Amino acid sequence: MQVTTALSDALGRYLDLTGEQMKLTASNMANVDTPGYKTQGFDFEQEFARQLTGAGSTGFAQPAAQDVDGLVTRPDGNNVSMDREGIQLAKSQLQFRLGVELLKHEYSTVMSAIHAEAK
Amino acid sequence: MNLFGVMDVSASALKAERVRAEVVAANMANAETTRTADGDPYQRHHVVFEAEGAESFKHSLVNHLGGSGVGSMRLGRSVTADTSVDGGVAVTGVISDASAPLRRYDPQHPDAGPDGYVSYPDINPLTEMVDLMGAQRSYGANASAIQAEKNMVASSLDILK
Repeated sequence: MQVTTALSDALGRYLDLTGEQMKLTASNMANVDTPGYKTQGFDFEQEFARQLTGAGSTGFAQPAAQDVDGLVTRPDGNNVSMDREGIQLAKSQLQFRLGVELLKHEYSTVMSAIHAEAK
Repeated sequence: MNLFGVMDVSASALKAERVRAEVVAANMANAETTRTADGDPYQRHHVVFEAEGAESFKHSLVNHLGGSGVGSMRLGRSVTADTSVDGGVAVTGVISDASAPLRRYDPQHPDAGPDGYVSYPDINPLTEMVDLMGAQRSYGANASAIQAEKNMVASSLDILK
């Protein structure tokens, strides 16, 4: 019998991916004044599906960051939008909290099984 | 609409208001510009806002409940910044005002015509300032809407506790 369930495994990958997304957002924000820098990002749904199909012992597959199109490029060749990144950061924070709460919930069931004797 | 649908709508408004503020700033900066690339005095610019796929709340709710559940996986698509969000706003263009330039007599000016008159852009700093305040207020209002939405999601997370 193992403590890890399919859901907790999936949630772990979800949190890893959210962390990656935050990292990219932070580097986009850091490069807001870098000439020629292009906004980096990845498609969350698609990457998460890839993580789940490769579920099992493969571990975390690094998502491939690519240029984000559909942004306005400034004269210095930089297309980072501070509004987009701010929203993105807020979203990732909430996503992370969601994952953590669900994971806590998942483990609390195991904990109640452990403490069942004492009740 | 997903969990962050409201946020995307407000985000599109933030982007649009920022563009509006930038255009106003350009107008104020060039209020005395008598010479541009095509040789004419600077023309005042306006932004044009357009509502994106505006649907009634009821319509989208019914669609949501009756429609298919999870969207099918679309593989191999590129990442795009959401330029059009249903219910959001988008800047469809920046158009220049075709109003006639102001004529001032200043024969010493390098851009003065043979009659000694100079063409200045017809830009009123007061009008621009009011527009800028409007953009600032709208930006603030939408930022508050985003904050409210974040609190809503946070409250829904508290249900899990």
